[in-house]
Amino acid sequence: MILFRKFRVLILMVFLVACTLHIMIDLLPKLEKRAAGADGEEGGCQCAQHPGREAQGWGKQRARSAAEAGWPNKHTLRILQDFSNEPSSNLTSHSLEKSTAGGDRAGDPRGRTGPSAKERKALIGDASGARTASAQALSRLSALFEHPLYKVDLPPLTDDDTLFNVNNDIRFYPRATGNQGWHNEEGAEDEDEFSPTAEATAESYPNWLRFHIGINRYELYPRHSPVLDSLLKDLVTQRITSVAMKSGGTQLKLIMTFQNYGQALFKPMKQTREQETPPDFFYFSDFERHNAEIAAFHLDRVLDFRRVPPVAGRLVNMTSEIRDVTRDKKLWRTFFISPANNVCFYGECSYYCSTEHALCGKPDQIEGSLAAFLPDLNLAKRKTWRNPWRRSYHKRKKAEWEVDPDYCDEVKQTPPYDRGTRLLDVMDMTIFDFLMGNMDRHHYETFEKFGNDTFIIHLDNGRGFGKHSHDELSILVPLSQCCRVRKSTYLRLQLLAKEEYQLSSLMEESLLRDRLSPVLIQPHLLAMDRRLRLVLQVVADCIEKEGYVNVVEEDLSGDTANHRGPGHR
Amino acid sequence: SPDFDDGGSKLKRLFSQPLYNIQTPELKQEEKLLQLEQLIEYYRRKVSHWERHKKLYDEAASFTNISLKEPKMTYDPDASWLKFHLGINRYALYSRDDPTILQLLWDMENMTIVSADYTQDEKALKGACDCTQVVKPSGHHLKLALKMHNFGKAMFKPMRQQRDEETPEDFFYFVDFQRHNAEIAAFHLDMILDFRRVPPVVGRRVNLTREVFQVAHNEDLRAVFFTSPANNTCFFAKCLYMCKTEYAVCGSPELLEGSLSAYLPGLTVAPRLSIPNPWKRSYTFAEREEWEVNPFFCDSIKQAYPYNSGNRLLNIIDMAIFDFLIGNMDRHHYEIFTKFGDEGLLLHLDNARGFGKHSHDEMSILAPLSQCCMIKHSTLLRLQLLARSDFRLSDVMRESLEKDPLRPVLTEPHLLALDRRLQKILRVVQRCVRRLGKDEVITRDFIKPTATP
Repeated sequence: MILFRKFRVLILMVFLVACTLHIMIDLLPKLEKRAAGADGEEGGCQCAQHPGREAQGWGKQRARSAAEAGWPNKHTLRILQDFSNEPSSNLTSHSLEKSTAGGDRAGDPRGRTGPSAKERKALIGDASGARTASAQALSRLSALFEHPLYKVDLPPLTDDDTLFNVNNDIRFYPRATGNQGWHNEEGAEDEDEFSPTAEATAESYPNWLRFHIGINRYELYPRHSPVLDSLLKDLVTQRITSVAMKSGGTQLKLIMTFQNYGQALFKPMKQTREQETPPDFFYFSDFERHNAEIAAFHLDRVLDFRRVPPVAGRLVNMTSEIRDVTRDKKLWRTFFISPANNVCFYGECSYYCSTEHALCGKPDQIEGSLAAFLPDLNLAKRKTWRNPWRRSYHKRKKAEWEVDPDYCDEVKQTPPYDRGTRLLDVMDMTIFDFLMGNMDRHHYETFEKFGNDTFIIHLDNGRGFGKHSHDELSILVPLSQCCRVRKSTYLRLQLLAKEEYQLSSLMEESLLRDRLSPVLIQPHLLAMDRRLRLVLQVVADCIEKEGYVNVVEEDLSGDTANHRGPGHR
Repeated sequence: SPDFDDGGSKLKRLFSQPLYNIQTPELKQEEKLLQLEQLIEYYRRKVSHWERHKKLYDEAASFTNISLKEPKMTYDPDASWLKFHLGINRYALYSRDDPTILQLLWDMENMTIVSADYTQDEKALKGACDCTQVVKPSGHHLKLALKMHNFGKAMFKPMRQQRDEETPEDFFYFVDFQRHNAEIAAFHLDMILDFRRVPPVVGRRVNLTREVFQVAHNEDLRAVFFTSPANNTCFFAKCLYMCKTEYAVCGSPELLEGSLSAYLPGLTVAPRLSIPNPWKRSYTFAEREEWEVNPFFCDSIKQAYPYNSGNRLLNIIDMAIFDFLIGNMDRHHYEIFTKFGDEGLLLHLDNARGFGKHSHDEMSILAPLSQCCMIKHSTLLRLQLLARSDFRLSDVMRESLEKDPLRPVLTEPHLLALDRRLQKILRVVQRCVRRLGKDEVITRDFIKPTATP
C-alpha cells in the first residue's frame, strides 16, 4: 500500500516536471527574442533586427506546428519549399534535411556573421556592372528575344493553368503574406526593386516565392520576367544560413537555405572546365558537373523551352558558408585541411564521396552551382515518368530501344504518348539532351496538377557537357525513330543555326552573365553548333522520308486546342 | 680519372668501383634463407597441387563439353625464381652481378602467364568492403598475382597514372595512387645504392583479355572484367569500385602496362615479420605522431629494443634515405625474415607510392637521419660517389632504367629530383658531423669496406 502511494507520488512528480518543461520550452523563444533584441541595440544593426525577431517567432511557430501536425498549421511557408530535386524522392519528402533545416530555423537564423551589407553591395555592384557592359556591346541575345518566334504568346491562363492560385492558395500561408520581415530585408538590400513601404502584395514576396507562384501549365517562368533576374541574383548574393546534405542522391549535393528562407541545391565543382569525361567511363559513372547545370539552364532559355529551374554559379566560402552553418554532423566530420593547406571535405553519398575525391577550396573558396528549388512536393505534387528511351544502366545489357528500330511505334500507342503533346515534349527534351551530350535522362517529371497536358521539367543536367569532341548520336534515337518535332522548336533550331543567331555565340553571351563566367570553354560552345546541324539533318531526313506534315507538328496557329487538344500524335 | 673504354657507361664504371666490390664473408649454411632440399620439396608439392587442380578443371570441362586451353606447365629445377629464392641471405636479397636476377627479369617480362588471381591480402578481406575507412587496407588496392608456366609468381600492379602526372597537392600520402613505374624505378635505385633489399621488378605490357581474364579461374575476379564504352577491356578493384573511390583501369584496347615484382618465398617456408616503423605517420588528417613534434624522439628510440643494439637503427636510416630519394611517405611497416633475427636485412617492399611529386622534397621522410644523426659508413661513401659528376645518380638511374621494356620509366624531372635530394641528404649529414663530430655520426657497420674510392 505504501509502495503504491509512493508510486503515485512519483507519477505526480513526473507529471509536474513534464509540465514545467513544457512551459519552459514555450517560453524559451521569447527569452531568446529578448536577448536578440538587446543584441540588435548594442550592435546597432537596425536592418537585421526586425527580420531576426520575426524569424524567431516564426521558428517557434514552426516547432509547434511540427509537433501538433495539424493540417492548416502544417501549411507554413516552409513547405512551399522543395527538399528534393531527385525524381525518385517524390514520395519521401519527409526527409532528414527537412527536420534539420527546420531545426536550424528554430535556432538562431541571424546570429551568424555573413558578409557585411557593404560587401554585399559591392558584390551586387559587380554583377550589375558586368551586365551593363555586355549590354553595351551589340547584343545578339536581345536580338534573338526580339525575334517573332520568341514572341509567341501563351494561351490565356485560367485558375487551372497556374500551379498556385494566389487568391485561394497563398492565403493559407499567413506567414507568406503577413511577414513584413521579408520585404523589409529585401528593401534594405535592393531598394530600387522593392519599395520598403509596399503593401503585403505579391510583389513583396521573396523572389523564390514569386517564382513558385509564376509556374503555370506551359512554363516554369515567363520569358521576360524581372523575378527571374532577381532570383538569380538572390542565389548569388543571399546569405547562406544553413546547409544540409541531400540524402539519397548518388553524388554529393548540398541543400542551402538563404536568409530569405529560399532554398537551393548546391553542386560543387568536381572537374575543371577543360577536363573531359574519360572515354572508358560509362554514362552512369560520370561526374556531375556544376558548370553543366548552369549552362543547361541558359541553353534551355535560349531554346525558349523554359523547363529548367533557375541556376546560378557562386563562389562559396567552405568555412563560413558551409562548415560553420551546417548542423549535419556527418557533413561536418568530413572537413579537413589538406597538405597544401586548403580546406577540403568529401561528405557522404554513394558515388565519389571519399578522401580520394575530396573537394578542396583554394584555400577555402569553392565553385558550385545553385539551382533554385521547385515548390515543395506537399504543395505541388510531381509525377515521375520513366523515360521510354532510358538506358539499361548496366555494363553489358542493352535497352529495348537499342535493338528495336520500330520501338517508337510501340511508344506512340502507349499512354500518355498516344495523345496530347507528351511525345513532342520528349522530342524537345531529346534535342536538349543531345545538344549538351547528356546520356543520363532516365526519368522526367511533370506537375501532377496539370495532368498529362503540361510540359516536362528538365531536372538534373549535371552530366551534360562532358565531352566536346564527341557527339553521342544514340541520344538522338528518339527523334530519328519517331520522326516528330514541334514546328516552333524546328523553326527556332533553324534560326539558331543561322549565322546571325548562332547558338554558340548566343550561349556565350548568355553565360557571360553568370558569376562563374566562363562557364563553358570554347570547344563545348562550338560543339553545340555542330550538334545543332546534326539535329537539323535528322529532321530533314525524316521529312524526306515521311513528308513535312507528318513530321512537323503545327503548334503556331495560336489556339489553345493545340496544347490541350486530344488526338495529336 | 675516368676512362671511357667501356662505351661511356657510367653504370658499368660505377659497379666496377671498389666500393661496389666489397666481398661479404663466406656465407655459412644458416645465413642463407632456404636450403635447396627444403625448397625443392616445397616446389614439388606445388606442382602436384596444381596437377590435382588441373585434373578437376579437365573433368569439369569434359562434363560441360568445353575444351579448356590449358597452358603447359613445366617443372624446372633450374627456374630463375627458384635460384632467386635460394640466393637470399642475411645481407641482401640477391648478390651483385648475379646472372639469376637478369634471367628472372627476362622471365617475368616474357613468360607465358598461366593463371591470374587476387593476392592473399585481398582474399583475406573476404569481400568485406568498409567504405568508411579513410585509410584503405592494402587488400583494397588494384593488384593481381600472376603465375608463370614454370610456377614462378609475380605481383602485377597496373598503370594508374600517366608518367607526367603529379600527385595533386591536396592528396594525403595515404590516398595517393599506386604507381607501377615507381615500383620499377625503386628496384633500380635500390640496386644502384647497393642495398639489394627490393625484390626484382620489371615492366610488362599485359594483354588483359588473354593473359588475365582468360586464365583467371576465380569467379570473383572474372566478374570485375567488362568492356568500356570505348571498347577497351577494363577491370576494377572490387572494394574501391564499390566504394566509388576509383574507377576501373582499362587497356587500350587490351594491352595494359604494369609492373611485375617477383614473389618472395612463401610464408610457410620463410616466415617474415612485419614491424611498425618508429617514424610512421599518423594516417589521419590532423593528428601528428610524436616524432613530428619531438626533436629528441630518436634519443628514446635508441634506448628501446631492438634499436638499442646492432645495426637495426642504421638499417632504418638506410630505408629513410631510400624513401626520401623516391619521395615515399607511406612506409608504415617494414619486414624482416624471422630466420635472420634482428641483424637481418630490412625488406623494402611496396614502393608504389614513390615518385609522385618531382617538384617537392618531403624533408620529414629524412627525420630518422636528421634526428639520430647516424649513417652507415658504406652508405655515405656510396652516396658521395653518386653525387660526383662522373657517377651522377640521375645518369646511372637513367641508364639503368633504359633496360626496362617500359622505358622511359621516369620522366626527366623525376631523375633530376634524385640529384637534388641526394645533395640534401649529404647536407643533413654534414650538419650532423659539424654538430657531433665525424666519429659520432659515421658508423661502421659489419661490412668493412676493403678500399675507399
